[in-house]
Amino acid sequence: MIQAQRPGHDVDPKLLEILVCPLTKAPLEYDRDRQELVSRAARLAYPIRDGIPIMLADEARKLDESELTR
Amino acid sequence: MADAAAGGMRSHEAQVADVFGPQAAAYVASAVHARGADLEALSALVAELRPGRLLDLGCGGGHVSFAAAPFVAEVVAYDLSDDMLGAVAAEAVQRGFANIATRQGVAERLPFSDASFDFIATRFSAHHWRDVPAAMGEAHRVLKADGRAMVMDVIAPDWSVADSFLQTIEVLRDPSHGRDYREAEWVEHAEGAGFRVMRTARRRLRLAFNAWVERIRTPELHVAAIRSLIAGASRDVADHFEIEADGSFTLDTLTLELEPA
Repeated sequence: MIQAQRPGHDVDPKLLEILVCPLTKAPLEYDRDRQELVSRAARLAYPIRDGIPIMLADEARKLDESELTR
Repeated sequence: MADAAAGGMRSHEAQVADVFGPQAAAYVASAVHARGADLEALSALVAELRPGRLLDLGCGGGHVSFAAAPFVAEVVAYDLSDDMLGAVAAEAVQRGFANIATRQGVAERLPFSDASFDFIATRFSAHHWRDVPAAMGEAHRVLKADGRAMVMDVIAPDWSVADSFLQTIEVLRDPSHGRDYREAEWVEHAEGAGFRVMRTARRRLRLAFNAWVERIRTPELHVAAIRSLIAGASRDVADHFEIEADGSFTLDTLTLELEPA
């Protein structure tokens, strides 16, 4: 199935390269399905809402052990 | 922010976001924010330097981003308020800019790798920051060694009495106001973070009273207090701020052009 394009809702890959965890400054992993940016070092997943990465620790989801060892 | 007395338990950042969120459209439309000699100077510098990637730190209504976008490959509009960023993204589409990306976060902890920007601009934002030295340190970290930064903000007069008057009406108008710093404090913040001040420009900015309080929906109680303070200002304070009959007044702004030292 072809995914519908949502203009402005996809995060530019070039700009993802410069994005780091605001707490640890370590690189992030982009989870496209969950629309999250994962910081293993900080054990946090930063959400992307409407194409805007929310780089606030308060808004991030805490990762559990199983996700970290994946 | 219907009730200005609410609060108490919220963080400073939550309060800033609460104040500005519902007013995002007003800041995109605001003439005070959309125009200005400082914005023209920024445009001219960016047009000359043609930086590859520019960070609009505390973008608010996005006016720095819009002014820079024609001359820059990539603009990153960064702000604490998701409502502001949503309004900026919508306005960027409206104006046909495809090179403005939005990121949400605080100034003191930038989510960008070292040396990832050629230019950093911040306008009318720093007076809200929790920790200006930390934020300036972060700006220095993410700026390339041959990059350039431009800081624009309202500043306090050097005379303490007028300084106190300004901060007081600012807090009454907007409880999330931090501080309008003096020029000497800005130079200290910049140099302390590892920047060299290339040049500064002081300007005057007239604020029409009604638009100033309506833009941020200052509650009546506070508007009355501001009016009372303005009416009772000494001649010296009134002269400095060129206070007018309807409460409109004129304050000082500063632009600092910086490069990594």
